[in-house]
Amino acid sequence: MASETVEAEENVAGPTFESRVGLRHTLSRTLENTATKLSLAVIVVITGTALFAFVDAKLLDYYIANTYLYNPRSAPLSSQPLLPPVGLSNEFGTGTLAHPLGTDDRGRDIVIRLVYGSRIAMQVALVSTTIGMVVGTTVGAVAGYYGGRVDDVIMRLTEVLYSIPFLVLVIAFMTAFGRDLLYAMIGVSLVSIPIFARLIRSEVLSVREATYVEAAKAVGGRDRDILVRHVIPNSFAPVVVQATLQMGTNILIVAGLSFLGFGAQAPIPSWGQMLSIARNYMLPNPWFSIWPGLAILVTVMAFNIIGDGLRDTLDPRLKE
Amino acid sequence: MSNLQYALKRLLQAVPVLLGVTSITFLLINAMPGDPVEVLLGPTASEELIAAATVKYGLDQPIHVRYVKYLIAVAQGDLGQSIHYGVPVTEKLMERLPVTLLLLASSFTFAVCVAIPLGIVSAKRRNRATDQFSRVFSLIGVSTPNFWIGLVLIIVFGYHLDVLPSNGLVMPTDPVGDVAGADSRLDVLVATAQSLVMPTIALGTLQMAAITRIERSSMLEVLGRDYITLARAFGFKETTILRRHAFRNAQLPVITIIGLQLTSALGGAVLTETVFNINGMGRLVIQAIRTQDYALIMGTTLFFGFMFVIGTLVVDLLYAVLDPRVSYEGDV
Repeated sequence: MASETVEAEENVAGPTFESRVGLRHTLSRTLENTATKLSLAVIVVITGTALFAFVDAKLLDYYIANTYLYNPRSAPLSSQPLLPPVGLSNEFGTGTLAHPLGTDDRGRDIVIRLVYGSRIAMQVALVSTTIGMVVGTTVGAVAGYYGGRVDDVIMRLTEVLYSIPFLVLVIAFMTAFGRDLLYAMIGVSLVSIPIFARLIRSEVLSVREATYVEAAKAVGGRDRDILVRHVIPNSFAPVVVQATLQMGTNILIVAGLSFLGFGAQAPIPSWGQMLSIARNYMLPNPWFSIWPGLAILVTVMAFNIIGDGLRDTLDPRLKE
Repeated sequence: MSNLQYALKRLLQAVPVLLGVTSITFLLINAMPGDPVEVLLGPTASEELIAAATVKYGLDQPIHVRYVKYLIAVAQGDLGQSIHYGVPVTEKLMERLPVTLLLLASSFTFAVCVAIPLGIVSAKRRNRATDQFSRVFSLIGVSTPNFWIGLVLIIVFGYHLDVLPSNGLVMPTDPVGDVAGADSRLDVLVATAQSLVMPTIALGTLQMAAITRIERSSMLEVLGRDYITLARAFGFKETTILRRHAFRNAQLPVITIIGLQLTSALGGAVLTETVFNINGMGRLVIQAIRTQDYALIMGTTLFFGFMFVIGTLVVDLLYAVLDPRVSYEGDV
């Protein structure tokens, strides 16, 4: 593989120097692109709103929302439902600056619901991607390194998980164990475990034949140490790329789950659930269906752009 | 002949995968809270009635006994009885399957027909306007939830322009009298086509975008190879090079992705069918889970697993067709 030869040549020049500069180099190279910079900004903003919503909802019991903003879970009796965005009018009235994107079926402010909904998307995506990455990488690396029967069994298992459509798998899992967020996170991670496992396995298969692994074995290194210190770190680049892309995929899965009624339960807002409510009001207030979808699209796209950028930097075969 | 033997061997290898699918589903189903018999009979049912129904559906036996019995029945082609619908599971599957297959076939046709030309043009005109457009287009495609595409299409074409039906799917085999405003078979076919447009775009966009991206990068990789440079040096026309030298060699990764998209499309069908109120396999499995219809959940997931196995097998066989270097002869 081309990427290995390049790395090997650089290693000759000075392995410690190269590896330390590697990460910073990768990041700065990836961020040279304007689209990637913008995407990073988008993710920083959405992580910010998610963190804010998490702190206010979980730790302060909606103190900030109640005092300074609108409560995302309930609306004051006076508020007008299904208002369009500011400047537009429909049969329910004209949009005002107080609710820039309009209000939902119960008169709740859509901006606030989007902000608090970002917490569910980010939280589930982050936790499930992490679980999927850690479990998948471990299992896949073991399969690739040891080969033989271990490999056969593990790969068959990933194939089994892979052959059940992901939404069906997660929904069956959540029906069995519980509909709350915790099980959504574990359920969604089940989807990505086989992806990470197969990915790192194929990398490990080539890395384990490398001279430095042979050398480590020759000086009497234990298999577990070689795996953890040499094989996994050297096979990890594609995993980082996949993890970034998987964040996007998992946000899509979470949205689909909430849309079908699995995931965060009302009145806690999530993007998918907002869409499933908005579906009943497509005729009177179509804008209500537009915003949550746009929020999902922008977030997922940002993760995809960064993932693509990282891959272009890490994989010289695709260099422009 | 060798490919046939390989196919048979692969089908045998699929048995453990399908066993795995059934056992995972069986375990999940048994962990589900609540009793399907109570769900069926309602909260007012007497205890004797519940007990009798429990025995009738074999739910009084321990889990391993039920699992083995289920496998034996499946081996004989019997997927059991749907508690919710009161009909055999196979009958329900056969009723819903054509709907989902039509939807999948239509969206994959759409995806492949748009993606492959777009990917090729994108690679050929790298970094020019067409390429930029196609890249942004496919990036949006892989980032958009398919059910939201469905909602937006319904708002625009169903409500505002009122040009396409947004509720249900007309099957080409539906009786003429059942389709509103249809006087002949041709009208039914037209209605089918109209009702397919929006679900196809909603479901197929993700596949289309994913295939475009892989087609582009795969073509770019092949176009960078030495033999293409050599062909250029010989003065072959660019279109000839694309058609005769590059295209075929670039299709292996594309086929892999198309195969892998099959399960994600089945998952996506759950959402698309919900948005457009289409009674296909996707809605069937969700309803089966909601009503705790054990036999139906088992039957549908087993079927999904089976489709995945067939899909990957077809991909492997296509490899051999496309690339003469790939042969399963002598492969043990």
